[in-house]
Amino acid sequence: MPDNIPIDNWQAQMRKGWLEVAILATLWRGRMYGLEILRDLEERSDLVIAEGTVYPVLNRLRTVGLVEAQWEESDSGHPRKYYSLTPTGRKRTRLLATQSSEFLSKMLVLIQPLIEGKPR
Amino acid sequence: MNIELQTRIDTYLMKLRRSLGELPPEDVNDILREIRGHILERAENGGQLTNEKLVQILRDLGEPEEIGPLYQREASVARARSSLSPTLILRATMRWGMNSILGFAVFVAGLFGYGLAGGLIVSAFVKPFDPEHVGAWLTGSGFTIGTLAHPTHPDLLGWWIIPVGLVVGATLLVATTRFLRWMLRFAIRRRIVPSAPVALPV
Repeated sequence: MPDNIPIDNWQAQMRKGWLEVAILATLWRGRMYGLEILRDLEERSDLVIAEGTVYPVLNRLRTVGLVEAQWEESDSGHPRKYYSLTPTGRKRTRLLATQSSEFLSKMLVLIQPLIEGKPR
Repeated sequence: MNIELQTRIDTYLMKLRRSLGELPPEDVNDILREIRGHILERAENGGQLTNEKLVQILRDLGEPEEIGPLYQREASVARARSSLSPTLILRATMRWGMNSILGFAVFVAGLFGYGLAGGLIVSAFVKPFDPEHVGAWLTGSGFTIGTLAHPTHPDLLGWWIIPVGLVVGATLLVATTRFLRWMLRFAIRRRIVPSAPVALPV
């Protein structure tokens, strides 16, 4: 890769790519509303670029039937939209987790020599 | 919360509403309600809301002009993939075609498929009312099906254009719809997981 290609853009694309998988993995642990998902992602991953990008992804996951959403009143005074995985969403999340794990294992084998600084 | 802060939130939501464009009103209301909830909940955390704190909350959310189109692309592709409406499907494909060569090629193919299907079906319906000018001809410039102002060659199909037009047109309509819906999965994959083979197999 030439030096003049901005690496920030590449990292942003990679984060976007994994965001959907990360959201599904977060919802695997139980129902959550948007801000809860964001806080969880911020704590456990490095994926959130702008907070507002999470909501369109959640909206799409709901439209394709992997996630369902329900409005509920909260103690804070305004309603929260809670998201949870549908049965199809749970199956798909497991499949994605397996595929992601296999993919990452192979990638790690490929890039490990670079990390360790071994010669070609 | 003072009026200035409230106005700032309202302005942000107004910009977001504008950038949501063609989404159905109930979806727009749902999105605005959720984003307003997000802003208010963050505003309530960590003491009194100041102008600086609100600016930071809105900055963390991102520019409304950038978030709105994400909803539109996500929603229109997802809706099109579960829809039978040629208008909805073609519109989603057109939007994909504005960002991708593959998308543009699929859009042109879809336009051709629907155009031909529509032409055949319309010909079948119009034939009884204008039998002289509706038909199928092999002329010097090639095969023509539909209407000709002054046909000089014999009509190849005659009245058969009615069943042929209806059956072939309807088949082409269904085939084009299925093809476009199938291809739209690549519109989602290219955006969500651009470089990894762990794309969501929707």
